[in-house]
Amino acid sequence: MDNDQKEGKCSSCSRGGCCSSEKEVKEKPGRRTFLGILVGAINVGLLAVIAGPVTGFLGAPLARRPRKEWIPIADFSEIPQEGAVEITYSHRIQDGYHQVDRMYSVYLRREGEGVVCLDPACTHLGCRVNYQADKDRFLCPCHGGVFDKSGGVVSGPPPKQLVRHDVKVEAGKVWLQKEV
Amino acid sequence: MDERDRNEGRAALTPEAKGVTRSDSTPEERDRLSRPGMKDWLELRLGWYGFVRKNLDEPMPPGVGWWQTLGNLLMTLLAFQFLTGFALAMYYSASPETAHASVKHINEGVPLGAFVRGLHVWGSAFIVVILVAHTLRVFFWGSYKKPRELTWVVGVLIFQVVLGFSFTGYLLPWDQKAYWATVVGTRIAATVPFVGESLLVLIRGGQEVGALTLSRFYALHVMALPAALIGLMGLHLYLVRKHHIAGPVLPKRGKVVPFYPDQLFKDAVVQLAGVGLVVYFALAGKPALEAIANPTQVEFAPRPEWYFLGLYELLKIMPSGFEVVATVIMPGLVTIGMFLLPWLDRSESRHPAHRQWIIVAGSAVILMIGLLTMKGLLETPPEHHAVHEKPPVASAAH
Repeated sequence: MDNDQKEGKCSSCSRGGCCSSEKEVKEKPGRRTFLGILVGAINVGLLAVIAGPVTGFLGAPLARRPRKEWIPIADFSEIPQEGAVEITYSHRIQDGYHQVDRMYSVYLRREGEGVVCLDPACTHLGCRVNYQADKDRFLCPCHGGVFDKSGGVVSGPPPKQLVRHDVKVEAGKVWLQKEV
Repeated sequence: MDERDRNEGRAALTPEAKGVTRSDSTPEERDRLSRPGMKDWLELRLGWYGFVRKNLDEPMPPGVGWWQTLGNLLMTLLAFQFLTGFALAMYYSASPETAHASVKHINEGVPLGAFVRGLHVWGSAFIVVILVAHTLRVFFWGSYKKPRELTWVVGVLIFQVVLGFSFTGYLLPWDQKAYWATVVGTRIAATVPFVGESLLVLIRGGQEVGALTLSRFYALHVMALPAALIGLMGLHLYLVRKHHIAGPVLPKRGKVVPFYPDQLFKDAVVQLAGVGLVVYFALAGKPALEAIANPTQVEFAPRPEWYFLGLYELLKIMPSGFEVVATVIMPGLVTIGMFLLPWLDRSESRHPAHRQWIIVAGSAVILMIGLLTMKGLLETPPEHHAVHEKPPVASAAH
């Protein structure tokens, strides 16, 4: 552009005569730049007005702080002396715009006077592990991860042991601490 | 710069790069082609800078000014609708069981939810206002005349699509107003002779307004209409640029100036003012959400959105048995008239004085729509206070 202006030609468009007058060519670049900056600033402002809230909508789940809550999930007597048992329980949660009763399951086993609670999600990629009673171990059907009776990795790709939930036994009930 | 550069789309290249794409380039220039700067590299592949520059240098005839900023404002407002719509869709659920609760959650539970929904609600009203103003400007300036007939036709199609957005979007909150406006609005389809009942079932997705109506309207609102709108807007812009701005009715003396910076700056000022107003209204109050749709609540008087009030009033004053005149024939004639306007108006001149009958006819239609809308607005009862659902927790506690 600058080069063309020096040559006294209009570089702007292909339609002759549109801006080839002397005045146009001599227009101060300062004004052009100034208006350009103003237009840019207005557009950045408008973009911010819209991008802010939309990003907020996208990121709102990050701002949510889960709280912990003790909930009863089973009778202590349901847990056998030997081996693990799968317990299914339902819990009412706020799922976005509505409340739902969601089903969850965990494995419970006795350990001394207390209870161990293992999450059934494989620590590799989150498939649900199955309990094999005859070998007293957990097997992941997806990629062959194997966990021992207390959740430690025996073989396969899982990087760490099964997650243990905090549980307590009170008045014959097993209570689980759940993040909701 | 010579003619060849322009023809071959090299206008935006740096002088060095221009040299190397010429057939008579020197060995030194050709050598530079193998090591182009980033800008030239992109230009040779995308043609982006040439495109931007061509648009910034679009010639503006003398007399073009604030009236020609409305199209750009519309584009901005529509882009805003797209973005706020995307945000709302992440929290909205198109089912009669959950739609109302999800909109309530947006209003009350999502950070800035009421603001974003307010932008969408007020934005839609503003779009209709600006769209009407843009259309009236083109009508009175006679800018639809040869060779811009198809630009006008595409604009009328965009008008229809925007009304389609309004009608389908209105149902989505699934509150009383939404439900009843849709029950009545879709009922209009049934007045079409011969195929009315089938048309009604087709629009509603069944005999009644229900789950299938809601998902049908939602699919139209977020898939079909946006796709149509983007395509039509692209075509409209292409045609506007191809035939250039028509300019004032009578050519003014003065020089033709490029779009950038003066007109672009005016556009930006109008965008700022328009968006500023929408933001102001969105901040001023939470967008309304009435009680959940209830097909048995009879004391509720259904009213459409204000820009359909003209049609609503027309229907009210029609004598019994002539409903089809108000629902199909008159709106149909106006729509057809709009599409055919460039061929109905045969005069060579764009001056209003030289095309009196079309100006009179157009003004009569506009006046009629205006009066009916005004009548509807004046007869609108004060804010309806529907019996809201009792908060379940509060009622259980007492």
